[in-house]
Amino acid sequence: MPPSQPMHRFRVGDPVQVERANPLGNPRTPRYIRGKNGVVTVLHGSIVNPIDHHGVYPPLCSVLFRVRDVFGGSSDDTLSIDLHEDWLKPASPSR
Amino acid sequence: MAQVHSTQAHSHMHDFEGHVEAVEADLEYWRTKRLEPRLIQLHRRGVLTFYYLVRTAAARPVVSMTAVAQDTEARIRALEDGLDDYIRGIGLVSLDGPGYPSVIEDTRKERGDYDDFFRIAKPSHDGTLEERITRLEHQLGEYQYLLDVFTRALLDKGVLTMEAIEQQRAFLTGRGAWHGARIVARAWVDPVFKQALLTKGREAVRELNIPPGRLGKLGVAENTPTLHNIVVCTLCSCYPHDLLGDPPWWYRDDSYKARIVRDARGMLAERFNLRLPDHVEVRVHDSTSDVRWMVLPCRPAGTDGWSEEQLARLVTIESLVGTAPAVEPAALPQGGR
Repeated sequence: MPPSQPMHRFRVGDPVQVERANPLGNPRTPRYIRGKNGVVTVLHGSIVNPIDHHGVYPPLCSVLFRVRDVFGGSSDDTLSIDLHEDWLKPASPSR
Repeated sequence: MAQVHSTQAHSHMHDFEGHVEAVEADLEYWRTKRLEPRLIQLHRRGVLTFYYLVRTAAARPVVSMTAVAQDTEARIRALEDGLDDYIRGIGLVSLDGPGYPSVIEDTRKERGDYDDFFRIAKPSHDGTLEERITRLEHQLGEYQYLLDVFTRALLDKGVLTMEAIEQQRAFLTGRGAWHGARIVARAWVDPVFKQALLTKGREAVRELNIPPGRLGKLGVAENTPTLHNIVVCTLCSCYPHDLLGDPPWWYRDDSYKARIVRDARGMLAERFNLRLPDHVEVRVHDSTSDVRWMVLPCRPAGTDGWSEEQLARLVTIESLVGTAPAVEPAALPQGGR
């Protein structure tokens, strides 16, 4: 299934912040990541997936976070989370 | 549930508690997430009401369990077999009739994936090993009975037909982790295929005569000497199971979901006995149902010149999720090549 032609607001490498409240009622964003900062790594386009859900959600991005930015601590490990763009807003580059 | 190539199928059980804990977790997952929300859903929609179930049950007396084995290991094995039957049975009736197509999103909502309020309560699992086994034997009997009644009622009411169930049985047995193993083996030997797999996902698997499936997009996370990938779905349990078969049972378990995102390195070491050097970055992929991820493990050393068939034997379902590397050649059973 080829993703439809992307209408992404973001580009690979963009720093983004995850919204705390969901503007459209799409629940598919884990709570622990809300309000956190990451970097867009993959643009997936708008994925048509009628087996799983009714509507077509906004374009989907993989966003890379550092575990320490999400949960604290000193780990250099990372989290890659797939997020719909209505959950994302531009952020200033971290540090 | 089994590994692709279990080398321990007939060995003795060493960790009774671990086996019992696994049965408890898996049994409750299937009951509270897969079977009972469906009963409620069908009742709510008037497709199959509780009253119809009760009438069906009245015509089907409870069959008491056959003689229970005395020996602890045999009892646990019987529980594991019973659990497998239960899971298979739920898979067979997890079908939509033509008159009431359901969308997975609704199912997830109704079973509480998005909102704890809707979750069905699970019993506690305290007590001694003996008490836990006895409790499981009782629960499994009750759960299986409800499943039997439900299946009978679906057929009696004409919601499902035997033909549809047999088709589902054929579908469920035909798919499996072997697909994943073949995909990985091809990617190890064929750089063009690997590139197509990484960029186009499930479209690429057709050349292996594997049906690509339709569950969203397939994401492939490639391990390298400096990057180790792991897959989880913390919101529900998304996995490319239409393509790869079922993930390991604990993939759906809350204890895995909760810790793996916070402390993957610690969890790999302690629970999965996989210790990664500091220079290897650990990256956890938390997926939505739109992109379902698999890990492409590193090809083990010492496999030069191996055929795809031989290489595929090194790939386990754990390695597809990223909690284990591919099997080292030396660890294959004698004659494994």
